[in-house]
Amino acid sequence: MHDDYLWDRSGDPDPEVVRLERVLAGIRHRSAPPPFVITDAVHPRSRWTASWQFSARMAAIAALLIVAVGALLFGLRPRGAEWHVAVLGGRPTVGRVALDTRGTLAVGQWLVTDASSRAEIQVGDIGSVEVAPNSRVRLISARPGNNRIELRKGLVRAMIFAPPREFAVEAPSATAIDLGCVYTLEIGDDGTGLLHVQSGWVAFASGGRESFVPSGASAQTRPDFGPGTPYFDDADEGLRAALARVDFEPKTSPNRTAALDAVLAAARPRDGITLWHLLSRVRPDERARVFDRLAQIAPPGDGVTRDGILRGDREMLEAWWDQLGLQPLSWWRTWERPWPPGK
Amino acid sequence: MRSRLNAIDLGLGFESRVASETGLTTGETNESALAALVEGARSGDRSAFGRLYERFAPMVHGILLARVRPADADDLTQEVFLSAMQRLKDLRDTRAFGGWIAAIARNAAVDHYRRTPPTTELPTTLGAPAAPAAEAEEALRLIHELPEAYRETLILRLVEGMTGPEIALRTGLGAGSVRVNLHRGMKLLRERMYGSSTDA
Repeated sequence: MHDDYLWDRSGDPDPEVVRLERVLAGIRHRSAPPPFVITDAVHPRSRWTASWQFSARMAAIAALLIVAVGALLFGLRPRGAEWHVAVLGGRPTVGRVALDTRGTLAVGQWLVTDASSRAEIQVGDIGSVEVAPNSRVRLISARPGNNRIELRKGLVRAMIFAPPREFAVEAPSATAIDLGCVYTLEIGDDGTGLLHVQSGWVAFASGGRESFVPSGASAQTRPDFGPGTPYFDDADEGLRAALARVDFEPKTSPNRTAALDAVLAAARPRDGITLWHLLSRVRPDERARVFDRLAQIAPPGDGVTRDGILRGDREMLEAWWDQLGLQPLSWWRTWERPWPPGK
Repeated sequence: MRSRLNAIDLGLGFESRVASETGLTTGETNESALAALVEGARSGDRSAFGRLYERFAPMVHGILLARVRPADADDLTQEVFLSAMQRLKDLRDTRAFGGWIAAIARNAAVDHYRRTPPTTELPTTLGAPAAPAAEAEEALRLIHELPEAYRETLILRLVEGMTGPEIALRTGLGAGSVRVNLHRGMKLLRERMYGSSTDA
């Protein structure tokens, strides 16, 4: 592509691009910023205002209850929710309809892209999902607080800016639960997948197994195994390869001991999150080795003991998590723990 | 070096300049600067809000211009920022401000579209040499006929004067996607203008 000038104004100026720049410059943005919005945090509301707003809220709740009861009494049902779909390229289909520029996706419908088409789904007012070529996506739920799609195969890039757990992507062997973030999820024809988080956090869960994946990290998923252990993308290549064997080979595999040794040997302090997850995933006889290595690279603080961790003390595990310098416990408490009940 | 970065003005184009001067990646400088501005705006700092507006208003305006008439894009840009300020406390990851406010802008355009159905505007000049304003109108009309992704990216580039890397940085889109959208969008636009492909 000879489009350097179009890309970043380097190279020889493209006469047509230069002409369009000149012609369109007149409608460029120039307006001044709006008056600054004084937020509650800056100027707390007066008692009268707060009281009035409380009454208004109560009235609104009462009105909603009346409408809800009325709807039940008269057998009314809410209309099926729909999300807007914008075509980014080619002609993706929703149901049997090929879209030209835009369309809607209703609960239960499939959005399908072929090798030359892409689309963007507006997820209510909380974000968007870009659907890459060769993907199949179904809308499962579009209710406030419960927005959910299924990714049967292909790749989606989600940008969600809502309270945690309001949006999820279900894949064949794991569900990616949004915790306020930007991420991609790719699923192959055989159901294997890769989650990569670009910003924020994602919980990757299936069958009681849950991985918490931060920005700059990834986690694989495989049918019959579920989500693998998260790892930072800049982790040692040997660590990542060995981690896949620990995660997805039978626990009785003869290669497993060597694989776990390779993970532990290559782990840096930054890989503490990987080892912390492994504490709940390895066999009891392997757990002490994981503890010892994690204690070397991220020493546990007061109140966290070797015996406690080996017997599965949840409070100690949470305390150690906090000491890894990730999200604080106050945030962490909102979510389920990947650690199984104490044994 | 980091402390020097924090002391420098954080205006538009800052990241690229600092990145070339210091060898830091654009993402590194942008993330810390952006996080500081968003936190400042959250806590009521007018100057931080002003800088966020300065930095992101062209992107918001361009996104709106890809969907609504120029006359409406200005008003909606202000509405988007007012709405964003009121919801800023809900933004969990301050580094994602660009993508977040872009999503608000796209939704604002959809709401506007619902409230005011589009009308067909007659061409202002037929057969006569186009005046600059009419030329712009015609160019914008042709861009509006392109698929949404191409439309938005081309407007950010040709109208708002952002470069491809800036578009990627502000919107949170991948640089590869932006480059492809620019290339394909421009190719389609040429076809619409001249009736055949002039792709280089």
